[in-house]
Amino acid sequence: MLTRLSGGHVVDPASGRDGVADIYVEDGLVVDPPSNGRAADETIDCTGLVVMAGAIDIHSHIAGGHVNTARLLLPEWHRAFQARPGETALSKVGWTTEETGLLYAEMGFTTVVEPAMAPSSALHAHLELADTPIIDKATLVVLGNDDMLMSMIREGESESAIADYVAWTVSASRALGVKCINAGGSAAFKENVRKFDFDDAVPDYGVSSRQIVKTLQKAVTSLGIPHPLHVHCNNLGVPGASSDSIEATIRAAEGDPLHLAHIQFYGYGTEGKRRFSSRGQALADLVNATPEVTVDIGQVMFGQTVTISSDELRQFAGSKQASPKKSIIFDHEANGGGVVPMNYKEKSYFNALQWAIGLELFLLIEDPSRVFFTTDHPNGAPFTTYPDIFALLMDRSVRARWLEALPKSVVKMTALPEIEREYTLGEIATMTRASPARLLGTPDRGHLGAGAVADVAVYRPGEDKAKMFGKAAYVLKDGDVVVKDGAVVKRKFGRALTLRPEPDKAMKTRLDRYFDDRYGLSARWFEVPDGALGRDEPFKVVPCRA
Amino acid sequence: MTVDTAWIDGRPATLEDALQAAAGLLDGSRLPFVGGLRTDVAGLRSALSLARRIGAVVDHRLSAAIYPFIVAARENGAFLAAPAEMRRRADRVVVMGDEAAEIGADVIRMLTDASPDLGIGTRGSERLFMTLGSKNAASPGSTASRHVDCASSEIVDVLGMVRAGMAGRRSGEGALGEETVATITSFLTDAGFCCIVFSPAEFGELGTEQIFGLVADLNETTRASTLPVLAAADAMGAALQATWTAGFPLRFAFGRGAGEHDAALNAGERQLSGAGEADLAILIDALDGAAPAEAKAAIPTIAITADPASAGAARIAFHVATAGRDYDGVLYEPRFGSFVAKAAQRNSELPSAAAILDALTEQLGERARDAA
Ligand SMILES: [Zn+2]
Repeated sequence: MLTRLSGGHVVDPASGRDGVADIYVEDGLVVDPPSNGRAADETIDCTGLVVMAGAIDIHSHIAGGHVNTARLLLPEWHRAFQARPGETALSKVGWTTEETGLLYAEMGFTTVVEPAMAPSSALHAHLELADTPIIDKATLVVLGNDDMLMSMIREGESESAIADYVAWTVSASRALGVKCINAGGSAAFKENVRKFDFDDAVPDYGVSSRQIVKTLQKAVTSLGIPHPLHVHCNNLGVPGASSDSIEATIRAAEGDPLHLAHIQFYGYGTEGKRRFSSRGQALADLVNATPEVTVDIGQVMFGQTVTISSDELRQFAGSKQASPKKSIIFDHEANGGGVVPMNYKEKSYFNALQWAIGLELFLLIEDPSRVFFTTDHPNGAPFTTYPDIFALLMDRSVRARWLEALPKSVVKMTALPEIEREYTLGEIATMTRASPARLLGTPDRGHLGAGAVADVAVYRPGEDKAKMFGKAAYVLKDGDVVVKDGAVVKRKFGRALTLRPEPDKAMKTRLDRYFDDRYGLSARWFEVPDGALGRDEPFKVVPCRA
Repeated sequence: MTVDTAWIDGRPATLEDALQAAAGLLDGSRLPFVGGLRTDVAGLRSALSLARRIGAVVDHRLSAAIYPFIVAARENGAFLAAPAEMRRRADRVVVMGDEAAEIGADVIRMLTDASPDLGIGTRGSERLFMTLGSKNAASPGSTASRHVDCASSEIVDVLGMVRAGMAGRRSGEGALGEETVATITSFLTDAGFCCIVFSPAEFGELGTEQIFGLVADLNETTRASTLPVLAAADAMGAALQATWTAGFPLRFAFGRGAGEHDAALNAGERQLSGAGEADLAILIDALDGAAPAEAKAAIPTIAITADPASAGAARIAFHVATAGRDYDGVLYEPRFGSFVAKAAQRNSELPSAAAILDALTEQLGERARDAA
């Protein structure tokens, strides 16, 4: 069936299009306009509407053991969702797998990356993703606090042996990339270390955070994994130390690709009488001057949320500020982690400045293809706050209104009131479509050229950008209309995008023995078999680079 | 000759007739209950999906075994470990209470089988065990274990004294005397990494909160975590899956649409006893291994079971295969603290619980279409 989306304003930066055009869709793919004058079987009138590729979220904690623990810890959150829909940010969160898929789709998002899958939680994460409707998903597998990697570095094993280990982990866990979270920090915390810097060594291994990051960066590059190593730096949230850590990490990229996650949480200085200040400008300058790095923001928005992280050391420290006062800290194999509820208050100097720092970074980093749109859901805010963030980026007057409501002490400490930049629709499409697809190595999406998957988001433009992006006029997933006027009209299941590097046989044998001897576990338990997920086609394999 | 796979009122029936009869019962039900839930991830997915469709109350037969843990953790938080990590790292292990050694035998074996080999302060030392329980409490069988005699019912108070002592407060006379309390305290605080193994069901919500509180106190200065062991691993798996599916760890009602959680009103025992609102039950019992028999239901039941002999009084019964034994299944594995894929050990002609539940959902859909 040939479908024509007619007369819309197509914003497709990947192909340089920004004007009225028709888009044709057939058999789940975008196709060239028929040259033989063949009429479409179905026409969707997009006159006056904005047509983009489906949006891609590169970092959103939507599935897995820690996410599910957060659901367990905060039943009141779920209750709020049902009892008073639409009242607060808290009540609008997508909390179950079902709501996650539907709410993302209603905003025109069609691919979402769960960025922190522990190898031991891979099957659990994929089971949840398989239950998440409509959207395609992908995962990043977490390495960098695991005994195997740190031992291999300590013993001076070859780069190729380490790459074999990384390949096995990516392949077994069905990941699309590799994430490193406070490299060595969780392992150090298990040794009762309470603060861990980029050049500190993990006790007993003598291996520094820097060595771990550099080793993983090399392995990822040598395996041809398209997505650069995705780094969550040390000292998240610590005034002064956080910005020192991210600066050291960015400088350590040394010309090779590196992605820095949720950098807002690292833009903190120690100036001012509260010893908490913005280093947004300096951090943005450094990102601007370091072309090999990409970043996402982790924007904070006000309201109740919960932080979910495999940074066990920092989550333990953060548990002192838990609101409500309860948290769960995990001592698992490798990273462990923690779930800590957080209530970001508009009237709090600290929280309001966090909000401002995120926006400073969005607006001061010049190249929209190197900065990615995230709240680190749900850590900075639930993903359901995205429409408001689009409005803040695209409209100075919206920012001015929000700034009005903040404590005066905050307004003095941020450059935000002076920043005039407003994101254009093209820049929004670059940030949320074209460049995420490039960053993930998934050329089948993020654009509307012939051959792309027919994931399309159509918006009704208007002065109110939050309204525009909150409820898509139409969303197509693989060519099917799944959303109309902001509501899901067809429920189906997408797939998980995964790499499938061929694991080395000797490494597989070695790991079988390692998990059995050391942990008393079967290495098979770390594998995600296709048949376990109960969907016809649970995966779509993305090739590694040659 | 083929094996009977379905029964209506105790008489063999075709699968089709049994599905139609079950759908008929569901059509006539004001509020159905979907319980038992002893099945794999695929079976639970189908059961929860059917429950959503028919607006059912949902619970697992053995959720009482996990609720003290769930309630304590969500009220006040917790420190939780993976057994495999504790095997490599914990240099001191307290097996607390009388139930853990039995319920958590698999997990404890992971700790007795090996010595810690990670961590500067823990590696290379022999793992020390302390059992804190009554005389009958099984010891983990290690040479390096010591037993502190304490009635199960006294343990929570003793832990209160340990916590008070650690905070520099004096506490009143307790069951064990100051010296023994001091011995327990130093066992905990001198550890490189201390691990407490206990059964939350033995201590209840408040006792479990006390244990998590003690571990939180320890982590102010040293490192410690817990391994709560649960009598019903599959109930924990079902609770986790229910949580990502419906937002709550079982004991909820789908009612009209989204789940509503009430641990008391929606408890399976209450619904099956006839004291609840449900007037019809679908009970799923299709896992390997013995489980305590379900109390006889006071409301009509549809049984989906791997052991049809146990389904005597059911209005409708379906004979299904056992997940992870007769066909590949995904099950919760407490030694891993997560889900694992289990390969079939033999072939079976029987359908899976998921297949029957899906067929039932399909049947309801057809009836709705016919009625329209
Ligand atoms: Zn994150």
